Amino acid sequence: MKRMILSAICVMALASCQTQQPLYSWYDSEDATYTYTKRATEETLAKAMAQYEKVIQKQNGLRGVVPPGVNAEYGYLLCKAGKKQEGLTLLRAEIKAYPESEKFISRIINQLEK
Amino acid sequence: MKKYIILSLMALLMSSCAEQITRLEQYPKMYEEKPLTIAVMPPINQTNFVEAKDYFYTTLYTPLCEKGYYVYSPMMTMEMFQSESAYDAEMFIDADLSQFRNVLGADAAMFTIIKTWKRDKVGGKITAGVEYVLRSTKTGETLYKREGLINVDTSVNTNSKGLFGALIDLAATAVATAATDKVVAGRLCTVYVLSDMPEGKYGAKFDQDQKMPAGKSYVTATVKQ
Repeated sequence: MKRMILSAICVMALASCQTQQPLYSWYDSEDATYTYTKRATEETLAKAMAQYEKVIQKQNGLRGVVPPGVNAEYGYLLCKAGKKQEGLTLLRAEIKAYPESEKFISRIINQLEK
Repeated sequence: MKKYIILSLMALLMSSCAEQITRLEQYPKMYEEKPLTIAVMPPINQTNFVEAKDYFYTTLYTPLCEKGYYVYSPMMTMEMFQSESAYDAEMFIDADLSQFRNVLGADAAMFTIIKTWKRDKVGGKITAGVEYVLRSTKTGETLYKREGLINVDTSVNTNSKGLFGALIDLAATAVATAATDKVVAGRLCTVYVLSDMPEGKYGAKFDQDQKMPAGKSYVTATVKQ
């Protein structure tokens, strides 16, 4: 009986110390995006795009899906870099994955299609 | 001996539960409105360090996504805010927010007020004092509010343990390639202060964290990077 009580207390104590697995894999995308927004050059753009590709292709987080906003950001940058069709496809992928983004992303798509 | 072990374990357990208010009690409107989409507003900078606003703005995005919310890309919204003359969040913190609902589809807007931003070059420490206010775009009410004064030790790597350790570690892993340690410091501050924020739709504990403990409305801590 004592052993059971001790085990139960240990389990409860350990449960309060459990770690939380991240929902998404971000790699270095934040830093690459930050660097690009502060200093937009071909080099920083290429680095940011490489990170977006990685985030989209390799998701090891709890949800196993592309994080909110990543398809949209990458698509937006591709459009600005002249790859309009590829970019628009990604912007539409954002709406498909996150329907709650439709109002904002549709507005961006309309502006880019003009 | 066994008795002492049981007693000390019970004391440990009880101390972690003592006088703690639940998230439902602390943030009832979060559970009433259940916001999904969040627009991150440009930070309000009350310090003399002009660049703090820029450093801090992009650090809010991933911690909020990791809490289970849909967060609009700050890079994309920033361009819109600048073109619509909405880059100064001071104009909106007490104002009607319905335009953010109408234009973006945002359920809530996250305001941040940077109150302290100091760098101790000798000690390798950055002190960030920031207040976080999440307001509903539907009712205008404050859904979540918490302030933190966080000392970030930039001289060593983190060994954070516990419930929020993984998220703090996640933010700190960026240090090796960080554009600047100021960005990492801002991110760690956000992760730490928002650790008691109820989870959004995509979070593993969405609508199941009502009984989890909420932190104090003003928190001070030292986080190692």
